Amino acid sequence: MSLLLKNILLPLEPFALEVDVEIRGRVTAVFGPSGAGKTSLLDLIAGLRRAQSALIQLDDRVLTDTAKGFFVPTHQRGIGYVPQDLALFPHLSVRQNLLYGRKPAGAADRLFGFDHVVEILEIQPLISRSVTELSGGEKQRVALARALLASPRLLLLDEPLASLDAPLKAKIIPYLTRIRDEFHIPMLCVTHDRSEALALADEIIVLVNGQVLQTGPVLDVFNRPASADVAAIAGVETLQAGVITNSHEGLATVKIHDTILTALAPATGAREVFVCIRGEDVILQRDAAGASSVRNRLPARVAALRPEGALVRVELDAGFPLFALVTRPACAELALREGDPVTALIKTPAIHLVPR
Amino acid sequence: MKKILVCALLWFTVVKIQAAEITVFAAASLTDSLKEIAAGYEKTSGDKITFNFAASSTLARQIEEGAPADIFFSADEAKMDGLEKKGLIDPATRNSRLGNALVVVVAADSPLQIRSASDLTNAAVKQIALADPKAVPAGIYAQAWLTRQQLWPAIEPKVVPTENVRAALAAVESGNVEAGVVYKTDAGISKKVKVACEVPARDAPAISYPMALVKESSQPDAAKKFLNYLDSREAGDIFRKFGFTLRD
Amino acid sequence: MTLEEWQIVWFTAWVSALSTLVILPFGLALAWALARRDWPGKSIVETLVSLPLVMPPVATGLILLKLFGRRGAIGGFLHDRLNFDIIFTWRAVLLALSVMSLPLLVRSARVAFEEVNPRLEQIARTLGSGGWRVFFTITIPLAARGIVAGMILAFARALGEFGATIMVAGNIPGKTSTLSLTIFQDVQIGQDSSAFRLLGVSVVLAFVAVWFSEFLLRRKRKTK
Repeated sequence: MSLLLKNILLPLEPFALEVDVEIRGRVTAVFGPSGAGKTSLLDLIAGLRRAQSALIQLDDRVLTDTAKGFFVPTHQRGIGYVPQDLALFPHLSVRQNLLYGRKPAGAADRLFGFDHVVEILEIQPLISRSVTELSGGEKQRVALARALLASPRLLLLDEPLASLDAPLKAKIIPYLTRIRDEFHIPMLCVTHDRSEALALADEIIVLVNGQVLQTGPVLDVFNRPASADVAAIAGVETLQAGVITNSHEGLATVKIHDTILTALAPATGAREVFVCIRGEDVILQRDAAGASSVRNRLPARVAALRPEGALVRVELDAGFPLFALVTRPACAELALREGDPVTALIKTPAIHLVPR
Repeated sequence: MKKILVCALLWFTVVKIQAAEITVFAAASLTDSLKEIAAGYEKTSGDKITFNFAASSTLARQIEEGAPADIFFSADEAKMDGLEKKGLIDPATRNSRLGNALVVVVAADSPLQIRSASDLTNAAVKQIALADPKAVPAGIYAQAWLTRQQLWPAIEPKVVPTENVRAALAAVESGNVEAGVVYKTDAGISKKVKVACEVPARDAPAISYPMALVKESSQPDAAKKFLNYLDSREAGDIFRKFGFTLRD
Repeated sequence: MTLEEWQIVWFTAWVSALSTLVILPFGLALAWALARRDWPGKSIVETLVSLPLVMPPVATGLILLKLFGRRGAIGGFLHDRLNFDIIFTWRAVLLALSVMSLPLLVRSARVAFEEVNPRLEQIARTLGSGGWRVFFTITIPLAARGIVAGMILAFARALGEFGATIMVAGNIPGKTSTLSLTIFQDVQIGQDSSAFRLLGVSVVLAFVAVWFSEFLLRRKRKTK
C-alpha cells in the first residue's frame, strides 16, 4: 500500500500543517505532542476536511487534488476511521453499529467475514448489548470491528490507547497487532505516547507544530533522533549541549562543561552538538573498581530520586544533570540516598550526538 | 411675573374643568359623518369628543361589560332595546333620526352585472361579503332582505361574514370576494367599489339608527348637549350629505 | 356541547394536525441548514423565521392577506391561472396556522440538531453513508425527541391561532370556524355559555399538548 501526501498545506491556529511524505509499510505512527496537527491530518486523509492545498493519493487512486479541483467525498473513499472518542452510535445496538457500514453480501469489495472479525476482537458476548453499557475497552474493540467490517483499504486510528489505563492498554495492543497480522490492512495511528508507537508501528512520522521533522523506521528515529526537537519528544532523558574536542577513527571525544565522554562520531563534521543519553542506558555502580568494556565511567552524586511505577528515576550530578532509570529493587540494593556518591557507566554507542 | 403665571395656571385649570370629554360608541357606518360633525362641535363648544367605531353588536356587548361610554349610537333598534331592557340607557334621551339604504357593491373594475337579488345566485358570484348576519345590524338587514326574496338558502353558502360593515366593504375592495352588501352611505365613501344595484325601499327592512345617553355616563350634561346637537339642523345637513335619510 | 361545537373542535384539530405535517419537511430542512451550515444571508433568514413569533399575529395575517389575496403576488397567479382561491377558504386557515407555528418547530428542531455530535455524522460517512443516509439514520434519530417536542408545540400553537386566521380566513360557519374564532364570536353576540364550553376544550387541549412536550424533553434530559 502506498499513501501519498503531497504538498499538504492547512492553516491551523497558530501554525500551518505542511506535510509532504509517502507512506508505505503496514503500520505507520504519526507521532508528536498534542496539538501538532495530527488529527487534522487524519481528517484530511479521510476527506472530512479540506486543505488549502493537497494531493492525496491512495495506491493508484487520487482522492484529493486541489490543483485540479478534484475531491472524492468521504463516503466514497473506503478509508476506515476510529476517532479518539470512538463515536459509537448511541441509538443503535452493538450489532447495528457493526453492520452500519457493511457492504451487501456478494459485493466484490467486501472483505472480512462478520464472524471472523467478531472472533478476532472477541466481542461475541457484546453483540446484542446497548452501546451505552459497554466498558472503555469493550467500546474500543467494537469501534475497531465496526471500521473493519466496512471493508476499508486503509485504517486511521486517532490515539487508540490514549483514554485507556495501563492494564487496558496492554490488553488492547494485542488486538491491534492481530488486526495488522490477520487482516493485512494498512494502518495509520496517531499517538503522542512513545511506547504505543514502539508497540504498534513499523514506520514513524514525527510531526511537531505542523511540520514533519523526521520519518523512518521506529527504532531508527527513536535511537537516532535527527534534531533536538525530535530527541525531546522521543523521550530521551538526558539532553545536554556539548562540544566535540576530538574525533578519531569513528569515535568522538565530547565535552559537556568539564566532563569528558566518548561517543560515536556523528556523520557530519559538526563541532557543536546535543548529547542524547537514554535513562535506560545509564548503569549505576557504588564503587568504580573492576575492568569492563564501558568507556564512560563518570563519578557522580545522587541529586534526586523519583519513583515511577516499577522504576526509579535517578537524577545525578555528573558535572551536568544526568538521568538514570533503574529498578526499585536495584535502587534498594544499592541503598541509594540523596547525596550519595556513585559511578555512572554509559556505553559509547548509547551516547547519541545530534549536531546543533 | 409670578402673579401672571398663577393667573394663567388658574385660567387653564378652570377651562380644563369646564371642558368635558365625551366618549361616543357608534356604529361603523357612521364613522365619516360623525367625525365631521364632531369636528365642528368641538370648535364651538370647547368639549372634546372621542369615538369608538365598531359593529353595534360589539359595542353593545362592551357597554354591558361596563365600558366607559357616554353615548351609544346604534345601527339598529334591536341592540338599543337590549341595553334598555338591562337598564343601561336613559330611555328619555332615546331618539331615532337616521335611516339608510342597502346596496350591493362590486369592485370598481369588476365586469359583473348584478341588477337584482337573484343575480347574486349566479355561479359567477362565488363569495359575498356581509357584516356578520348573526350579530351585526348591516348583516341582519341584508339577511332579512334576502330572506324576504326567498333567496337566503341559495346565498347563505356563499356568505363570508365580516366583523363589521366596513370590513365587508374592504373585502370587496380587495377583490377577494365578488360582491358585498353594505349601506349606501358606505359605498359612497369608497372609490374602489361601485354600486351594482340599490335595494328598493319596499324590499328592504326598515333601517333605523337610534342614539341614547348611557346611564353610567360620567358627563351626562355634556353628553346630553351633544345629543341635542346631533338632533340639530346643522348635523342633519351633514348626515344628508353623506347619504343618510332623515325622518324628522 | 352541541354537534356544531364538536364539529368546530374537530375541524380545528385536523387542520392544526395537517399544518404541523405540512411544515415538517420544510421546517426540518431549514432547521438543519441553520444548525449545520453557514451561508451569506443566514442571519436574515434566521430573523425572517422568527418574525411570526414576535410580530402581532394580525400583522402577519395582513401580510399573508396581501400576498395570497386575489390581487396579491401569489394569490393573483393562483386565481388567474389555476382558478384556485385561498383567502376565505379552509386553505387560508391552513396557511395561517402553518406560518404562525413554523418558527416554533424550526427553533426546537434546530437546537435538537445542534446537540447531535457532528463527529457521529462524520464517522457515518467514513463508513460509506452518503448525505441523505446519514441524515435519516443518524441525525434524525438522535434529534428525534427535540423534533417531536417542537412538533407538539407547533400543533398547540396552531390550535390556538386567532389573529392571522381571522385576517385571511374570516370566521365562516362550517368552513373556517376554528375554536378561537368561535369563542371570540360567541362572546361578541352574547352566547357566553357556548364560549365557556369551547374555552374549556381549548384549555384541555393546550394543557395536554404542552404537558406532553415537556414530558418528552424531560425524558431526553434524563437519558443524557
